[in-house]
Amino acid sequence: MARIGVFICHCGENISATVDCGKVAEVTSRLPGVAYSTDYKYMCSDPGQTKIKDAIREFHLTGVVVAACSPRMHEPTFRKACAEAGLNPYLCEMSNLREHCSWVHPKGDVTTEKAIDLVRTLVEKVKKNESLMPIKVPVTKTALVIGGGVAGIQAALDIANCGHKVIMVERDPSIGGHMSQLSETFPTLDCSQCILTPRMVEVAQHPNITLYSYSEVESVEGFIGNFKVKIRKKAKCVDEKDCTGCGLCTTLCPQKKIPSEFEQGLGFRPAIYVPFPQAVPNKPVIDKPNCTYFQKGKCRICEIKCPTKAIRFDQQDEILEVEIGAIVLATGFNILKTDFFPEYGYGKFKDVIDGLQFERLASASGPTLGEIRRPSDGKVPEKIVFVACAGSRDPAKGIPYCSKICCMYTAKHAMLYKHKVHEGNAYVFYMDIRAGGKMYEEFVRRAIEEDHAHYIRGRVSRIYEKNGKLIVKGADTLLNSMPVEIEADMVVLATAGVANDGAEELAQKFHVSYDGYKFFAEAHPKLRPVETNTAGIFLAGACQAPKDIPDSVAMASGAASKVAALFSNDELTREPLIAEVNRCAPPLFSTCTGCFLCQLVCPYNAIEREQITDRSGKLIKELAKINPGLCQGCGTCVALCKSKSIDIHGYTNAQVHTEVLALLNEYA
Amino acid sequence: MLEIKQKARELLESGKAQVVIGYGKGPNNTTRAIFVRKPEDADKLVLDDTCVQNLALYIYKHEVRHFGKEAVVATLPVLRSLLQLASENQVKDNEIIAIAITPDNKVVELDSFAAIEEHVRLFNTGLTEDEKDLLKKINAMGLEERWAFWNKEFSKCIKCYACRQSCPMCYCPRCAAEVNQPQWIPVAAHQHGNIEWHIMRAMHLAGRCINCGDCARACPVDIPLNLLTYNLIEELNNEFKYTAGLSASQTYVLSTWKLEDKETFIR
Repeated sequence: MARIGVFICHCGENISATVDCGKVAEVTSRLPGVAYSTDYKYMCSDPGQTKIKDAIREFHLTGVVVAACSPRMHEPTFRKACAEAGLNPYLCEMSNLREHCSWVHPKGDVTTEKAIDLVRTLVEKVKKNESLMPIKVPVTKTALVIGGGVAGIQAALDIANCGHKVIMVERDPSIGGHMSQLSETFPTLDCSQCILTPRMVEVAQHPNITLYSYSEVESVEGFIGNFKVKIRKKAKCVDEKDCTGCGLCTTLCPQKKIPSEFEQGLGFRPAIYVPFPQAVPNKPVIDKPNCTYFQKGKCRICEIKCPTKAIRFDQQDEILEVEIGAIVLATGFNILKTDFFPEYGYGKFKDVIDGLQFERLASASGPTLGEIRRPSDGKVPEKIVFVACAGSRDPAKGIPYCSKICCMYTAKHAMLYKHKVHEGNAYVFYMDIRAGGKMYEEFVRRAIEEDHAHYIRGRVSRIYEKNGKLIVKGADTLLNSMPVEIEADMVVLATAGVANDGAEELAQKFHVSYDGYKFFAEAHPKLRPVETNTAGIFLAGACQAPKDIPDSVAMASGAASKVAALFSNDELTREPLIAEVNRCAPPLFSTCTGCFLCQLVCPYNAIEREQITDRSGKLIKELAKINPGLCQGCGTCVALCKSKSIDIHGYTNAQVHTEVLALLNEYA
Repeated sequence: MLEIKQKARELLESGKAQVVIGYGKGPNNTTRAIFVRKPEDADKLVLDDTCVQNLALYIYKHEVRHFGKEAVVATLPVLRSLLQLASENQVKDNEIIAIAITPDNKVVELDSFAAIEEHVRLFNTGLTEDEKDLLKKINAMGLEERWAFWNKEFSKCIKCYACRQSCPMCYCPRCAAEVNQPQWIPVAAHQHGNIEWHIMRAMHLAGRCINCGDCARACPVDIPLNLLTYNLIEELNNEFKYTAGLSASQTYVLSTWKLEDKETFIR
């Protein structure tokens, strides 16, 4: 006979303001099988938990229903309390009165009725709960960091410094990411390369870090603590061991006019190239689609001239298989290109550039060696217009969010321009100035007050070319929307930060969720900002949302500490709420028909084939079998199985059925 | 017909097959499935317009498997059933010989899935115009009218499960309708339970039904059950360009996901 305890929480006033908690406790105490029922102001508090523990001992409870907040918040709390009182934790269930009832309904009898129904349903379920034991799985203490930007670098270094092995995978020939392209950084105006390159070198030299540049993740299998990842090392056509990085090949390559990705198309590179002088690793790669030898079958100059004979034209992509315990996604972001904006010339005006292109113009290592010269004719612009919120905060463009970094970098751009072109005029069109951050507001004020950047509050409606000038039409909303027209020499659009190319495919590969803008989704916007909903996969940097360098670095350290915490145990404890294929007496062995349609549907590849043989080894039957280490308990296979041969512990068919009947007031 | 008999005799005499599943004449001039195990009995085989039952139903029954290697007189639905069963791991390659007829009326022996796949490609496997017209008529009804139509049809159901027993895709040793712990689907033939049973059966056949029509033919109270499956077949063809029973290696449409799949029904 079941002896269920029911505990109704007021949650301060969150529940009791609209639900009569006393009445819920009183009515539910008369339900069949309920041995004890009470209400209390805060069940999650220490006295509240003590109430539960005492009741378990005093009334010899066989199950507990706590009607309170979301189980996502306090289920572990109450299950632990039950375990301390000697009750199997999985005999305790939570009814979500707060989110499912009190918060969404007005005060009234009907609301209390609903609360009673919710509790009653769960009482019936708990009667059918079974004692379950947690599953232990081993942990592979190697982390995989995907993306070698500043976030990836920080995460990798932090994990490696905790003494764990790290594998870093970078899509491009060098690590460094967008930060390596920047000229100076706000709010201190220190050189980006100067602060980043020591970290890049540290990654290369760290004994615990293995760097695979020019590589991509091919596939991911497994689960927290036990991922199996295939990495595709794209053929660089250069033997990394033999190459000394002397760079002779890059100077001799006959292809010289390939737009450089690193220079944002403002400079050129050869077909065999190192993206930038401080690249890590500082070994060139051959860009096959642009290489004369690969396209025409003749040339091989680099191979002939290489002093160490390191060129390997026949090198093939290599697939590495690695075992990984935790994954940090740090794949970064991208910005919209100028061709996104019809009103600003669809990208056909050479002197309308984006923020990253301006960074390259201002950078001492850039195509103009740090002089601000406009791309069309190399002239130093006398009037320059910066347009903030180009795309951002514009629902009509599909980007209603704020890209966060543009206000600050636009102020920086205006400053850098004024520092280099003293007599020049810088105009900034802005919607609002968002300068929340340490020393940020002061930085923007400096641009306006000391460097005399002209800030105009208003948006730019149109840009067009006339007599070699760019006519920028806008309005000044602080002067009663007075039309403003500026004849500029160059325009810099602070284009919106967007999800990186291939973010959606990557998210699907890793089974992490993503938002409508294809930024990866964190598990909880406030309390679990670096975790994903997939256990063992963490987020760092701008792949989650646009963010600046300090935020990216902080998030990376946060993700690293999560990984380090995971690696601090030799074994992981996992919830036993997993699916199982039924077994029964011969000759049936199981009602499973072995159709294996479930095998395809399982998102975690947790379903295997099990062969049942007789004593002589002859095959009698082939059945589906669920690997308890891999199963995440999503229940997709349960829904698909036509013969109802799979059940999920904690949410069995019998439990769900009895809950439905209880709601319909029919007791089985 | 003569050639079928010859082919069956040949297979049995040579020992390539121990049993030939085919059609024969029963009492009162009916046509039924027969299981020929001796070469001299091959003369009992017939093949005419009355031979419509889907013989694939018998190939995985252990009573038939017990006889040894099977051959089956295979019309198009039988061949497609074989391929669908193969994709669901219920029959293995080279396990069964299909005696099939080409579009120009020649008898061929197909002993592998590859050969069956090639043969099936010679035929039209979509819904016929008549079937599409019927479907149109049903779908032209309003929601309430259609619900009333099916309610009326299902109210006739006596839960004899002939639809299930005649369907080669219903091979589960324990049907979900027979699960009584918990009893999701009521056993009694009342309105509610009847609707639940037929909806479940239709859903279990989504992406698997090869449109042999045996369920409707088997129904003693003439419920037009194949109208339900027509709709599923059309829907999957329109949404995912998928037709069941065309290949032994095709993956089940409802348990696979492709990047180019439409998700219009979610958004």
